[in-house]
Amino acid sequence: MTNRFRLRLIAAAVSAMAVPMVAAGPGLAAQQLNGVFHIGSGSYIRMGLPNGGYFANPYSKDSNKTYTTILSGVGGGIRTGVAQKAPSPAFSAHGNSLANSIITPTNFTGILFGVVTTVPPTFSVSGDKLTGYLRHLYAQWNKQSFLQGNVAYGTYNSRTHQYALTWATKVVGGPFDGYTGHWHLQGTFSPSR
Amino acid sequence: MGALGHKRWPLAVLAVIGIGLILAPVAFGMFTKAPDGASMMTSFSPFMTRHRLDGFQADMRDIGNAVAQGQQAIRNTGRTPAGTRSVARVAPQFHAFARQWQGVNSDMGGMLVKIKANLPNYEAMVALPNFRLFPWFFVIPGVILLLLAVAGLARAAAWRGLRWVAVVLGVALVLAPVAVQMFSRAPKGAQMMSTFKTIETRHHLRRIQSYFSEMAVGQGLVQLNLIPALRHADLSAAQIQTRYPALNTLDANWVHILNDMTPMIATMSNNIGNYQAISSLPSFRLFPWFFELPGVIVIVIALLGYRRRGRGGAERKRGGLFNPVNQGVT
Repeated sequence: MTNRFRLRLIAAAVSAMAVPMVAAGPGLAAQQLNGVFHIGSGSYIRMGLPNGGYFANPYSKDSNKTYTTILSGVGGGIRTGVAQKAPSPAFSAHGNSLANSIITPTNFTGILFGVVTTVPPTFSVSGDKLTGYLRHLYAQWNKQSFLQGNVAYGTYNSRTHQYALTWATKVVGGPFDGYTGHWHLQGTFSPSR
Repeated sequence: MGALGHKRWPLAVLAVIGIGLILAPVAFGMFTKAPDGASMMTSFSPFMTRHRLDGFQADMRDIGNAVAQGQQAIRNTGRTPAGTRSVARVAPQFHAFARQWQGVNSDMGGMLVKIKANLPNYEAMVALPNFRLFPWFFVIPGVILLLLAVAGLARAAAWRGLRWVAVVLGVALVLAPVAVQMFSRAPKGAQMMSTFKTIETRHHLRRIQSYFSEMAVGQGLVQLNLIPALRHADLSAAQIQTRYPALNTLDANWVHILNDMTPMIATMSNNIGNYQAISSLPSFRLFPWFFELPGVIVIVIALLGYRRRGRGGAERKRGGLFNPVNQGVT
């Protein structure tokens, strides 16, 4: 092995290690958040139509019916480290979701929908940037489950514990095939002790 | 050498037919497409009943009656002083919905009529053997035929007996489509597939989805806007029920309509790929002939080979040629 080749090898190894360190930035190490993300006023879901525009839910409490507002359920909101699964049975005879832990089941076109997680979600904060790993979140409505999970991005104020998270997930298959669920959650985060 | 060729060509043809039968499902992609078709037929089964299709049409009637009576209610009540204040506010939105409904009813109602008309065709299709088995209906006789031909080619003497197995196989190929009534059922299946060509498309699904959205908005208008507006126009609940019963009927049946229609839309959506797979197969009308033609050829060749051998035997007797024993003696 020549000296020049040896030098190139060392330089490549050093730069391979340096790039991620620079990307992480000084003092921005991600910190995992454990606790409950309460779903407060201003949280909503909008269903984007495949050909543009949004689905108008006549039963939305918002004046703009394309926004269906949601609030925390009996579990207080989204809990980290816990899968808030569907109860058994998951639906009433009419197809109303009985999953009331994450959100209060909410009327969508006449039938209540609920939200469940099948895998514990995790959240991390880096500075004021909040990232939620909510890939296994499902909306349940009319005896059907719709995968609506994704990686959510938003902000977190460590002083006030106020957070906001947004993500979008396209529905694949089923009656809402091609629709996109646009989710926005905001409220306060209660860290676990 | 020439006589040997006479003995071998029928076997070679049978081997080719056997290989053809084995390769046909592979060439048509039947191993993947036929199970897709089977899945589609299974998915459709809860909806393809007269009772269920009647139910969808009743759902459509419920909405249509509510639209008609809603317009009537707006006309009648909107003229009163109280109605002018409350009902007139709902009127523009409701009239817009009524216009949309005409298109929805025409398209979706027409779709239901088409589907209902194809119910006997669907029933004929499901009465056929399970689609998953179809590739094997080609492969298994193909393999048997190939083995017979190879055995006959390897041991000419064995062919005398094996030929009859080939004849039986040919008869089975001829009779199979008759036994499963493929001649009457397969064309019906083709007819159903043809009808669903315009139904099972992503484009059509998007239209149905938009109708669903429009119907949901319309029902919301009836329950959340029109009925309260009529109440504000000094109509009691009993009067609304007496004069415009369809409004309350829609309200009472709405959840049932959602329970009914949403799974249907889901099934339509989830089977677009399955429909496309099965529709890319050769027409169902041709399927009986995929068995009949090879079957007849196998019978003819097996019997023809027998006659040729018989004549050859006579020649051998006459001339003592091509008989290794005689040749050895002379």
